[in-house]
Amino acid sequence: MNQFRKTLLGLSTAVCIMGMTAAAQADTLKIGLAGPATGPVAQYGDMQKIGVMAAIEDINKAGGVNGMMLEGVIYDDACDPKQAVAVANKIVNDGISHVVGHLCSSSTEPASDIYEEEGILMITAASTSPSITEKGHQMLFRTIGLDSLQGSMAAQYILETAKPASIAVIHDKQQYGEGLATAVRDQLAANGLKAAMFEGVTPGDKDFSALIAKLKKQGVDFVYYGGYHPELGLILRQSAEKGFDAQFMGPEGIVNADLAKIAGEATEGVLATAPKSFDQNPVNQARVETIKANGEDPTGPFVFTAYAAVEVMTNAMTATKSTDTEKLAEYIRANEADTAIGKVKYDEKGDLTESTFLVYRLHKDGSKSPAQ
Amino acid sequence: MSEFSLYLLQQLINGLTIGSTYALIAIGYTMVYGIIGMINFAHGEIYMIGSYVTFIVIAGLVSMGMVSLPIILIIALVIAMFIASTYGWAVERVAYRPLRGSNRLIPLISAIGMSIFLQNSVGISQGFRDVALPPMISGGWAFGNPADFEVTVSYMQVVIFAVTFVTMTALTLFISKSRMGRACRACAEDLGMTNLLGINTNKVIALTFIIGAALAAIAGLLLGLYYGVVNPFVGFIAGLKAFTAAVLGGIGSIPGAVLGGLVLGVTEAMTAAFFPSEYKDVVAFGLLITILLFRPSGLLGKPEIEKV
Repeated sequence: MNQFRKTLLGLSTAVCIMGMTAAAQADTLKIGLAGPATGPVAQYGDMQKIGVMAAIEDINKAGGVNGMMLEGVIYDDACDPKQAVAVANKIVNDGISHVVGHLCSSSTEPASDIYEEEGILMITAASTSPSITEKGHQMLFRTIGLDSLQGSMAAQYILETAKPASIAVIHDKQQYGEGLATAVRDQLAANGLKAAMFEGVTPGDKDFSALIAKLKKQGVDFVYYGGYHPELGLILRQSAEKGFDAQFMGPEGIVNADLAKIAGEATEGVLATAPKSFDQNPVNQARVETIKANGEDPTGPFVFTAYAAVEVMTNAMTATKSTDTEKLAEYIRANEADTAIGKVKYDEKGDLTESTFLVYRLHKDGSKSPAQ
Repeated sequence: MSEFSLYLLQQLINGLTIGSTYALIAIGYTMVYGIIGMINFAHGEIYMIGSYVTFIVIAGLVSMGMVSLPIILIIALVIAMFIASTYGWAVERVAYRPLRGSNRLIPLISAIGMSIFLQNSVGISQGFRDVALPPMISGGWAFGNPADFEVTVSYMQVVIFAVTFVTMTALTLFISKSRMGRACRACAEDLGMTNLLGINTNKVIALTFIIGAALAAIAGLLLGLYYGVVNPFVGFIAGLKAFTAAVLGGIGSIPGAVLGGLVLGVTEAMTAAFFPSEYKDVVAFGLLITILLFRPSGLLGKPEIEKV
């Protein structure tokens, strides 16, 4: 065994030296794709997978990057922070140094510490919590706007367009949902609209009748919900049954065809801040076709942010003629890239300088249209 | 009635409905505990399977063009009860019976294992996502003044409430009057002695699991229709709450399980009504601890007598 290891070590050293002398020896470059493939929010993981796989396919068809073909390797963190750490370690052990992911903010945060330490380049296409980039990590970027931007966009819409008489802010007590709800509440308060209620619900709960009765009693006519679709779907469904007909609004975590499946008719007219529908942009026609040819759905909110994440990486690889993550990170931070989500430019922290969100109105058939 | 009392009434109705749902599942925990002194942690998963079967059967019948709601529901109920009972029986046969007589902890671990096994096997075969069903029984009554506060009671809430009480009464009668019920009580009193007296205790225990699972299937059908969604993990939270209800009411006692469920449900609703709803679980479980401090055997439980 020991002998075998030594041989292996010798062999890998030899490979390394060879690698240094001839930079583009390896013919495939593995890109790790980390996100939930199972668990209650697996749909979002699917969207990310659809985007990344389509990007890889398109890039390979066009001859790859620096002569290398890309290969996507899927890792399942089930949107569980503990599993995310295990996945991150596995990626390190598998020798992968370019990662798209993770998806849930609460998974991205612990995983990013490991990647930073190991010098692995990471671009998340879906995590929107502001605290992720607060640590000053050099290896971390996103292709999606921040929660705080989404929150302020929602607050602005509420103040300027919806103008409710009485508003309640509800959240699911998780990093993503509560973070957004707090941002919305604070900005509304700063502009003189005080939330009549600010409360949390328990994820996984099925009965919200007590909460709905309370909303009804308070005479609330607008509810902002920070969280994901399973809980909001039930809140909408039960509100309709109980004759509570306020306007609901949520973040992109609720934008999902399953919301309409759960809430049915009650989904009609719900407002949501979501990434712009990049699949509607004529520039992305070819990309949409690749996805459709695979029999997948190009409309999910994270499909094109994930596609763009791969493009940001490969764009930097082509420009620097390297896969060295430090060089790539430096290049990405300094230069603009043209991607599926438009021109991408980063600030010092690795956040996008421009918001990628828009206010949408959701419909009962699972589609959405820009809100007026 | 004033706005406040209408609001209180609405929250009471909400609480009683939630409580009834806990109670239906809690009966299964309490029956098994009463007879073999073991907590069947896989019981919540049987409820989840009941919900899935209901959804599949309803979707199937509707797609076959059946329109009569009562017939659809009866067929769904019968099939769900049958399949859930089969699972209940099989779980007992495979995971608990071989371990009977060993240390108490061992079947408990086996039960937790069974619970995780069932969650994941259903998830793999049916998908881990929420499966939704459009409302089947909608509508209800509304009263009070719409200007200040309108109380709504849906038909579904009434059905849940009624079924819980009918089930509890039928089960209490079965246990106290029937021959098999007598055998159950004998097993609860002293399993070893009952065996010596010539009663097939294995059969009695298997029956307990089958009845418990059939009740869980009823709960699965009702709650599946009421909430309209199911995923492989619904059994875990429902099971935890039902188990709490069973302990609160006095584990081993059937009326206790129902009372415990109602107390827990009403406490949750009232807490959510007058405090921020994130305090719901804090207050509900605080109440559980307080009651257990003063009445360690629960509200209606008999104090454990040292067996000589």
